[in-house]
Amino acid sequence: MAATAIAMEGTQTAGEDALVRLEGIRRHFPVYRGNLLRKRTGTVKAVDGISINIMPGQTYSLVGESGCGKTTTSRMLLMADQPTEGSIYFDSRPMHQFSGAERRNFRSSVQAVFQDPWSSLNPRMRVDQIISEPLITHQKLSRSAVQSQVQELLQVVGLHPFHGERYPHEFSGGQRQRIAIARALSTRPKLIVLDEPVSALDVSIRAQILNLLKELQATYELSYLLIAHNLATVRYMSHMVGVMYLGKIVEEAPPIELFTNAQHPYTKALISASLPAHPRQQREEIVLTGEVPSPLNPPGGCAFHPRCPFVLERCSSDVPVLRQYEAGHTTACHLYE
Amino acid sequence: MTNDVILQVQDLQTHFFTRTGVVKAVDGINFELKRGETLGIVGESGSGKSMTAWSILGMVPHPGRIVGGAINYLGENLLEKSRGEMRDIRGSGICMVMQDPLTSLNPVFTVGDQLVETLRLEYDEPKRSLRQRAVDLLANVRIPAAEERLANFPHQMSGGMRQRVVGAISIARAPNLLIADEPTTSLDATIQLQYLRLLKDIQAETGAAIIFITHDFGIVARMCDRVAVMYAGRIVEQSDVEDMFDSPAHPYTEALLQSVPDLDTDVDTLPSIEGQPPSLDALPEGCSFAPRCPHAWERCLEYPDEFTVAPGHTSRCWRSE
Repeated sequence: MAATAIAMEGTQTAGEDALVRLEGIRRHFPVYRGNLLRKRTGTVKAVDGISINIMPGQTYSLVGESGCGKTTTSRMLLMADQPTEGSIYFDSRPMHQFSGAERRNFRSSVQAVFQDPWSSLNPRMRVDQIISEPLITHQKLSRSAVQSQVQELLQVVGLHPFHGERYPHEFSGGQRQRIAIARALSTRPKLIVLDEPVSALDVSIRAQILNLLKELQATYELSYLLIAHNLATVRYMSHMVGVMYLGKIVEEAPPIELFTNAQHPYTKALISASLPAHPRQQREEIVLTGEVPSPLNPPGGCAFHPRCPFVLERCSSDVPVLRQYEAGHTTACHLYE
Repeated sequence: MTNDVILQVQDLQTHFFTRTGVVKAVDGINFELKRGETLGIVGESGSGKSMTAWSILGMVPHPGRIVGGAINYLGENLLEKSRGEMRDIRGSGICMVMQDPLTSLNPVFTVGDQLVETLRLEYDEPKRSLRQRAVDLLANVRIPAAEERLANFPHQMSGGMRQRVVGAISIARAPNLLIADEPTTSLDATIQLQYLRLLKDIQAETGAAIIFITHDFGIVARMCDRVAVMYAGRIVEQSDVEDMFDSPAHPYTEALLQSVPDLDTDVDTLPSIEGQPPSLDALPEGCSFAPRCPHAWERCLEYPDEFTVAPGHTSRCWRSE
């Protein structure tokens, strides 16, 4: 527990003004064996003590490989799941103490856009129904008010009002993602969770959608929690980046600082593994051996030590805590102590 | 000189005959591949890049058919081969590396069985010597304790190991040409790097040529010698990889390269390509990129010829004339 306490000191730069504050969040899933005589045989520590602040009007990005806990974190933020330990503060109010009204208000203040616009839109609903559904759920509006809002939303995301009468299958991937964004915007949210918003789209469409998201952020002062594996996209979109490995944040910094001055060996490896933008561009190649270990049985000490090229003796026994490396830049690695 | 060329695709046309009309998935493409060379075919979904691969392998799905052109492999036209002959060429000469290397192994057979099954097609030898060859292959792709690993089922191996086994199977019959269709889309960054390095190692060892079918210019920059950009069934630009990145001639290539965010530079707003990729059953008249092209003019109502802008660098755009 001491580890979390120190960890929080490092990241809690402006926790008071944050729109969303995650404090020492853990999410552990029990694992059972057998059906009749169920026995608890282990725990998957999907998220294991992370603390982050999402500022109003800014983008916080989580990067890391599959299974590192990015999506579990976002599910807790969407109230689709509850942390085993720790608290999430929204507008400085702890989520677990929400009253019914606060809860409803929260649900309309936090929306999501998912990776695959082919499966995240109901094929049997017309586009105007898709976009107005959250409006009808959360607000008491007359039918004509709903209609006019839908028209406005369609225009805001770069579609035409007549598109509302069509069905999702009549649209291309980029247009569908615009519909998903319009749906997310309909309740005037403060925070949108973007889970890989462009990776299912064609390359020539991605820039359009990223630019649209940036414009909307500036217009409506939206906060984003962005989950992405493409580091270049993360650099383009974010104000703060957290690198996750096996349920923990191992490094956190603003994007320019992180990508020019990465400290944690895992961050360095991720950067070196990202593909170059030009054939003559050379990256320092840090080749990691093996792959992400199972979170069911994570290695002791620093979870990264079996793959780390700079491993020290103490890495297998002591868990490194997040420490400030420079202002706004923290890292959890024994190399920097 | 020509001995070095192992694959030559000439005016290949693969069309799909659907109820609503003919869809020209591949519409007259030309390219060449030399031994040991790596070609990247870049395009968006529906550009015809995957269908090009299936055409070379002789596995165009119904209702598609190759309606014209030639695919010369080691001087012989594959389009004149019988089914049996093609079956033999696939695997021994031209080999597909599956899109998802992690699910393309059979879960109910051991890794050894699957390797031996492939090797038996190539070598008429007793089982024991085939197993020895399998061990050598696994060692070749750097699997430690190869001998013991033969008895493993795929689920007993880690993802990276399985990837290597698939790599070993694809080189079991010493192919001259490997076709990798979006080989890394489902992989994490660090695993992707391992896999790309494995392919490079295999290439260095066997001298095989590789065709990468991808939508990712990063893979092209990292892996390829030459690159062909496809749009709506045609190759709109083709050149050496450095040349393409330095001076793209076709507006589509240029815009595509600019619209990809770069990890090492900062921009406020990415230049983006307006509009949507065209649907193949309703292509515009003339140049199919014209409706999205910032430089389009009257000339574009006619489909552009292929112009040479530099040695080995061609572009299908009137501006390159």
